[in-house]
Amino acid sequence: METNPAFSNYMDRYLDYPGHWDSPSKCGLKLVKRKDGKTLAIATEIYRQNPGTPVTEVVAPLATRILKTNAEKPDNFIFIEHTPDLRSKLTFYGETFDLVEFDWNGENFSNPVWTRLTKEQVDRMMEE
Amino acid sequence: MHYRIKKELNRILPAESCFKETSMMLKTKPREMKFKLIYPRWEKLEEQTIFNLPPHGPVVMAAEVPEDVEIDFTDENVEALIIDDNADFVGISMMLTTQVKRGWEIADQYRALGRKVIFGGISTMLHAEETMLHADSIFLGEVEGRLEQVFEDFRKNDLKEIYNFLSKPPDMNLIGPANRDILRKDLYYHKGFRMVDLFHASRGCIYDCYPCAVRYLGGRGFRPRPIDRVVEELSQMDNNRLFIVDNSLALDTEWEKELFKAMIPLKKKWVSHTIEDKDEVLNLAAQAGAWYVYQAVFDRSDYIRNRIRQYHDYGIAVEGTILLGLDNQTEDDIKRLIDFLLEIDLDLAEFTILAPFPHTKAYSDLLKQNRIFDKDWNHYNAGKVVYYPKHMSPARLTELYHYAWDTFYKDEPQTMKMFNLINKVMAKEIGDGTYTPRRRDLTDVSFGKKVTNIV
Repeated sequence: METNPAFSNYMDRYLDYPGHWDSPSKCGLKLVKRKDGKTLAIATEIYRQNPGTPVTEVVAPLATRILKTNAEKPDNFIFIEHTPDLRSKLTFYGETFDLVEFDWNGENFSNPVWTRLTKEQVDRMMEE
Repeated sequence: MHYRIKKELNRILPAESCFKETSMMLKTKPREMKFKLIYPRWEKLEEQTIFNLPPHGPVVMAAEVPEDVEIDFTDENVEALIIDDNADFVGISMMLTTQVKRGWEIADQYRALGRKVIFGGISTMLHAEETMLHADSIFLGEVEGRLEQVFEDFRKNDLKEIYNFLSKPPDMNLIGPANRDILRKDLYYHKGFRMVDLFHASRGCIYDCYPCAVRYLGGRGFRPRPIDRVVEELSQMDNNRLFIVDNSLALDTEWEKELFKAMIPLKKKWVSHTIEDKDEVLNLAAQAGAWYVYQAVFDRSDYIRNRIRQYHDYGIAVEGTILLGLDNQTEDDIKRLIDFLLEIDLDLAEFTILAPFPHTKAYSDLLKQNRIFDKDWNHYNAGKVVYYPKHMSPARLTELYHYAWDTFYKDEPQTMKMFNLINKVMAKEIGDGTYTPRRRDLTDVSFGKKVTNIV
């Protein structure tokens, strides 16, 4: 299994975040300022390089953190969760992209809902 | 004084030592506190063997309990729990998700009697937020070097709501020996045959396997125990048959080889998860007493076929562990897989249905796809379908699960295959002089209960 998801078109930096019970956690991150003014955030699960909680399990607080750090408004913020292809013999570690939509209570995101996207759809969303 | 320190003193001091005497005096001094430690019951899969193994978490925890605390342990799987106000403090140790609801129920009853309850163990960590609703305190992480403080806080009526050591694994030198003295050992016999004792030589895992939560529980690194500490604990164990419960022994070749070399003189016979498929390693494993291994069989590849053959070449039997309901399995795949298992001559097979335990990739993936329809943790026993499989209905997957058990054991029942395995280990033990006959006084007893059929 590939252990080191490389920087790619969907990940150009690391982000440290607190996971469950404050466990130090890390994901890949790419922020795209789109032509329409919206910010597209892609958070990448980096598996063994992530010492703590996976992105999926803390996706709402993680998205909130990214939103606030970048002083965005929720309406102008699009969040995509990415898992890279680990080239495993097993089929569960292929590349996936999910658009994650949340409820917003004025302070935080909650109630994530994931919608599977193709790579082509993500590429188009980055260009919009 | 810790159980561990006491053991260490007994080990290093000569029998006639005055310090040894002091140690024995300390051992017998009146205990100041009674700690009721409970391992909640769960419903076993109907297809599995009836065997109940002595639990591992509670004995590891018990080794860290201060010496002036009397531990009264109940494993509800083999004996009835009487809930009364005799205990000063109550601990509930939970390993499986199917234990948590029973654990919460027990805690609620003790708390109604005014007793404080602390939870620990693997499934406490997996279900921490929910467990807090039934607890005075929860302990997250590994106990070594941490329980003195917990009991001190209890004594001062200052028990913390959470003891969180999830990201702070202890020094591996501190681990063990476990305190197996808390077990009522006669309860772990089936018709005179003693069950294996559980033991661990390492913690953590470098892999991120789809159905497994070890990355969350034990960290993402492999943390082997020092070999001398492992040998020390093994040599103190009075049971010749063991289950080495490490997630995988195949994580560090050099350590694995050193471990097996060190184990050879002990002449133990053991079961474990995967061993590396290098000839040199398998050869040492066989010499060190490898009896049989659990090997995940996830496809019908030559890789699996060769791996099973390799184990057999070294006289190591194989119990296949087969997970059903994965997204890459159609009905046809499952049926072909079962045919394959018969073809490759597995010694035993255990079939389970994927259970998306919290903090696993399986859980994350199914959650994202909104495919989990049942959140009753009692149903997360790996024999019930709690999510929508990709290629069939939940009902059809359940049928295939039963079909798998029935088909694999059609010509030779599970009890017979298990009997064959026991014969193999007995032959090895007779060969090296370690064989202990079954206990005649327990031939009509199975896990503490009288049975009529003693064959």
